[in-house]
Amino acid sequence: MADPMRIRATVRDGVVNVKVLMSHEMETGQRKDAAGKLVPAHYIRSVSATYQGKTVLSAQWGPAIAKNPYLEFSFKGGQKGDKVVVTWEDNKGEKRSDEATIS
Amino acid sequence: MSRWVKWMAVAAAGLVCTQAAAQSRYPGVGRTATPAEIAAWDIDVRADFKGLPPGSGSVSRGEAVWEAKCASCHGSFGESNMFFPPIIGGTRAEDIVRGRVEALARPGEQRSTLMKLSQISTLWDYINRAMPFNAPKTLTADEVYALTAYILNQGDVVPANFVLTERNMAEVQQRLPNRNGLTRDHGLWETRGRPDVKAFACMANCGPEPRIVSQLPDHARGSHGDLAAQNRLIGPVRGVSLTQGAPAAAAVAAAPAARDPARDLAEKSGCLACHGAKQRVVGPALAEIAAKYRNDGGAEARLVAKVKSGGQGVWGNVPMPPSQLQEQDLRTLVRWILNTH
Repeated sequence: MADPMRIRATVRDGVVNVKVLMSHEMETGQRKDAAGKLVPAHYIRSVSATYQGKTVLSAQWGPAIAKNPYLEFSFKGGQKGDKVVVTWEDNKGEKRSDEATIS
Repeated sequence: MSRWVKWMAVAAAGLVCTQAAAQSRYPGVGRTATPAEIAAWDIDVRADFKGLPPGSGSVSRGEAVWEAKCASCHGSFGESNMFFPPIIGGTRAEDIVRGRVEALARPGEQRSTLMKLSQISTLWDYINRAMPFNAPKTLTADEVYALTAYILNQGDVVPANFVLTERNMAEVQQRLPNRNGLTRDHGLWETRGRPDVKAFACMANCGPEPRIVSQLPDHARGSHGDLAAQNRLIGPVRGVSLTQGAPAAAAVAAAPAARDPARDLAEKSGCLACHGAKQRVVGPALAEIAAKYRNDGGAEARLVAKVKSGGQGVWGNVPMPPSQLQEQDLRTLVRWILNTH
């Protein structure tokens, strides 16, 4: 299981700003190790964020995104004290879901 | 004879007078530092926590200060490697138990501050004396405690409800991921099996006095511009000015010139930490700004607004933090930049 994401969600004037730091290797599958063997690809393929069961962000990612990706987005209509849930799934089928309380 | 009498009197009168005598021994060189000056400089915090002022700061307070003053360069989670190496990252729970960071041994691994840090006092002291980059020494002791706690929390060294004070710094030290990571068994340079860091200080009979056998050739002087203008202005800048040709000429040029109040304001407000007069430092050179907006009538008002609210993107990625100055002072600064460069 991958390390937890760090998520920070703050609301100002009805707009919730969400910052997410994911912990992931994001191997492109094109790099070779010291022995000259290809390092197998291992990257996040899809990311989604939900607020009260409703999807507020969904993204399809590829190998061009850096290791330990940082994601920042905002959406309207969130309330203080509610939860935002962020989920990713990578090309090996691993998943991770974390939540943060809007402050 | 009179000199001998003076020396005797000095010897009897204690430390302060000894310093005065040192002055008379080297006429015209320096003066005795006042106790207030020494107190202002004496801010270091030692590894045994001597010098640490009393105070306390929670992780949540640290988060607020971090977002306001640090996140623009270091990233919200201390993860950014855009301008500086990341502060957080690369440490694991096992490292905290062991006191050695395993990732440091892997070649090619991105190193973060928290991976390398072996003394918590160093982190506190560095934030206290050098951060934020554009306004060092402006943080209060409580803010420094809070920021230190926030950084430790981001590295999972302390829990989210932690409050760091001068009393529990020693406990936190025992949880630093790389607290046992220091080694003196290797040298900084190739040293033929004998680490250069195991040297000792020679105090007596140390061989002949060193003699200066070479110096910077004249054609190379000034190739990096006026180094004094590129330094952050904390206290006097040492060394000769290299823009003035030969050292003799530099001494003449260093004679007190008329002070420009606008330049003093820029210096005091920390502008010159990032903006050189002619050279690009972190931000654009003042001359570049003046040249860009030379024939632009509305530039003054726009630049005043920009300095006030901070900016990014026109001259590159490095953000300029918002200024705390009054409107009037901002206008003086912008006019000075546009008209005299």
